[in-house]
Amino acid sequence: MGSHAQLSSQFFGDLLDSIIVDVASECHRIARLGLDRNLEEEEEELRLSAQARVRVADPSNSGEANSKYVVDIFGQTHPPVANEIFDCMNCGRSIMAGRFAPHLEKCMGKGRKARLKVTRSSTAVQNRYSQGSPVSTYSPYSNSTSTSRLSNGTSSGAGEEYSNGTFQEP
Amino acid sequence: MRASVNRPPTPDVGDTQEKQPTLEEIINIKFIESGEKERLMELLRERLIECGWKDEMKALCRAFVKKKGRNNVTVDDLVHLITPKGRASIPDSIKAELLQRIRTFLVSAAL
Repeated sequence: MGSHAQLSSQFFGDLLDSIIVDVASECHRIARLGLDRNLEEEEEELRLSAQARVRVADPSNSGEANSKYVVDIFGQTHPPVANEIFDCMNCGRSIMAGRFAPHLEKCMGKGRKARLKVTRSSTAVQNRYSQGSPVSTYSPYSNSTSTSRLSNGTSSGAGEEYSNGTFQEP
Repeated sequence: MRASVNRPPTPDVGDTQEKQPTLEEIINIKFIESGEKERLMELLRERLIECGWKDEMKALCRAFVKKKGRNNVTVDDLVHLITPKGRASIPDSIKAELLQRIRTFLVSAAL
């Protein structure tokens, strides 16, 4: 190797060694300061999965039928019927989440009995359709207030419903 | 004249053993003084990041840290860990580019 080539190679090697030391130093700092989030998360995951394995292996936990409240992988328990309460967007009543589907069936007119009911909500539904804009029923953006408006029964003038400024004549 | 005026200078301990600076040292000094060494370092750093080399080295370090425990690792450990792989995995194009620039500088510095 010519002397220039040799010197160049050597100099390149020195540059590289310096950079290697920098990288090692940076990684060392990250390690010692605990800045590598993934590392901690992985350790936490391992711990949790080890715990879960213990729980699964424990024979007293087998089968949902045994206990009313089953523990999931995050350690949470859930009641058999979802018990969050919210307001039905059709009729405005307070409904338990786990009973919402059967309620909606009656509320929105699947059953024989429901169709006979003349409630404020059904007039609201008729009004909604008569305004004729598909946007009003499906787009969450054009009338963000319309669903809550129905709950107090007043399908107020079109100007108020389209609160984002698009004024539609009925 | 008084003897003290003509007294020979105090012998410096270093003087008698000092050699001429080696060619390498001269080159190094020229590189540093001209700022070329710093430019080349930054160039090499940038290239090694672009091609993913640095990420590979960091991954090696992370794996090692995970295995050994993050408080049981020294800088020395990591240097020894990544040096062989680090030197071997430099892409040829990057090496060529840097060597070219170094050689050019050597020529221009009349070394």
